[in-house]
Amino acid sequence: MSDVLRRIEIPIALTIIACLLQVIPYYVEIPALESAANTASNAVLIIVACATFVGVISIVQVHGKRIQRQSEGWYYSILVIGLVVIMALTGLPLPEMGLGVNNSVYNWLFTNVQTPLGGTMYSILAFFITSAAFRAFRARNLEASIVLVAGTIMVMGNAPLLTNYMPFIADISLWIRSYPNLATMRGVMIGAALGSIALAMRTLMGIERGYLRGGGEE
Amino acid sequence: MAFLIAGRIFGLLCLIVIMGSIAYYVRQAQGGKVPKVRRIPGIDAIDEALGRAVEMGRPVFCSHGIANLRAATSGPQTLAGLSVLQYVAKQSLQVGAELFVPVRQPEVWPVAADIVETEYKLAGRGDEFDPDKIPFLSNQQFGFSSNYMGMMMRERPGANIMVGAFWAESLQLAETGSRIGAMQITGTANTAQIPFFLVVSDYCLIGEEIYSAGAYLTNDAPLIASLAGQDIGRIIAVILGLLGALTVTFGSNILLDLFAM
Repeated sequence: MSDVLRRIEIPIALTIIACLLQVIPYYVEIPALESAANTASNAVLIIVACATFVGVISIVQVHGKRIQRQSEGWYYSILVIGLVVIMALTGLPLPEMGLGVNNSVYNWLFTNVQTPLGGTMYSILAFFITSAAFRAFRARNLEASIVLVAGTIMVMGNAPLLTNYMPFIADISLWIRSYPNLATMRGVMIGAALGSIALAMRTLMGIERGYLRGGGEE
Repeated sequence: MAFLIAGRIFGLLCLIVIMGSIAYYVRQAQGGKVPKVRRIPGIDAIDEALGRAVEMGRPVFCSHGIANLRAATSGPQTLAGLSVLQYVAKQSLQVGAELFVPVRQPEVWPVAADIVETEYKLAGRGDEFDPDKIPFLSNQQFGFSSNYMGMMMRERPGANIMVGAFWAESLQLAETGSRIGAMQITGTANTAQIPFFLVVSDYCLIGEEIYSAGAYLTNDAPLIASLAGQDIGRIIAVILGLLGALTVTFGSNILLDLFAM
């Protein structure tokens, strides 16, 4: 029995059924199929919710070992595990016990710890962009020179101090965004969509197995 | 045709033609006719990056992106990233590189861990598999990126391979990799992030190239043939694009009406 359950055909068949259940109702109006697709989507949500615990297990495993071995910076791991436990407990969906998203501890941690930390990480992107731009904006050859000129115009076009006195820069910047840039992006998007269809087709045919236990050759 | 949803019929026709052509080329390949595929330098460079990391005595980082497997546009990118992970795990074992796979999505973590573990078992070294090297970092975008950057600064990988769906963290990760001197191979189909990857990494897979990576790396005839079928879709897109430009220029909405069918 266990040999049958380990057969590679089972996950492939499940993948094909799940794919078809999502694709067919998009084009064809069959209420029974739509209902089955909704049921499948709900099942996926339940699986995803369960998978969250897998994430927590991984965190506890990794940081637990670090604390046990007293590896470099192990005290940060205590903080991580402590906060995971506090957030998980205070966020439990039990409003009658004062827990859940309205819990004051949960709210305080979310508003005063998670949100500012996320905002800080996002804002340091500006410095990364600057250093990346410094590297990119070097006229080493023709292509790099085009990037340099276009990039400079785009930066100038977004600076009100300059566009106020030289409004034509904003027009050139808009033209670059609306024509060469948009055309290229659309080309990439069409190519990516075609690649995605080919990947879906390979998955439907059961020949794309990279996501299945390393190709399912075990 | 009442059961077909209005406004989606033309899309369905295009999908059937593209899928039909892919199926046709796959069948042809199974019969021995395999089309030639152009070299993709970014994918060819994976072996070089792994070798370089081993020579430097540094580990390898491989990320399949931060998306889940469910989203319509980013899910396939994660699948493509996992195909690359499979190859990287296999080759890392062959050349003796230490592999780290930071994960953002809890639902993808078991899949990634399973892929790496299977490669260890296939190599007859199942007991050496260490799940701690495939850590779930955080399901928060910037929690993940700060963790990833911290790991890179501590472990100082010789190669950083990132193929999948990335958003604002793309530049943070790639720029950190660049600062520590890692050879970087990146790829995404998220158009807004491609310029960042192009600027910072040594090799960048653009858009559809990431979907071809799995087929390209396995060198399996039917998978390679599916790429030729994909080209039929590209030809259709070019023809429709040209016809659209011409008809709209001459004041006709015939193609727009056809698309709205």
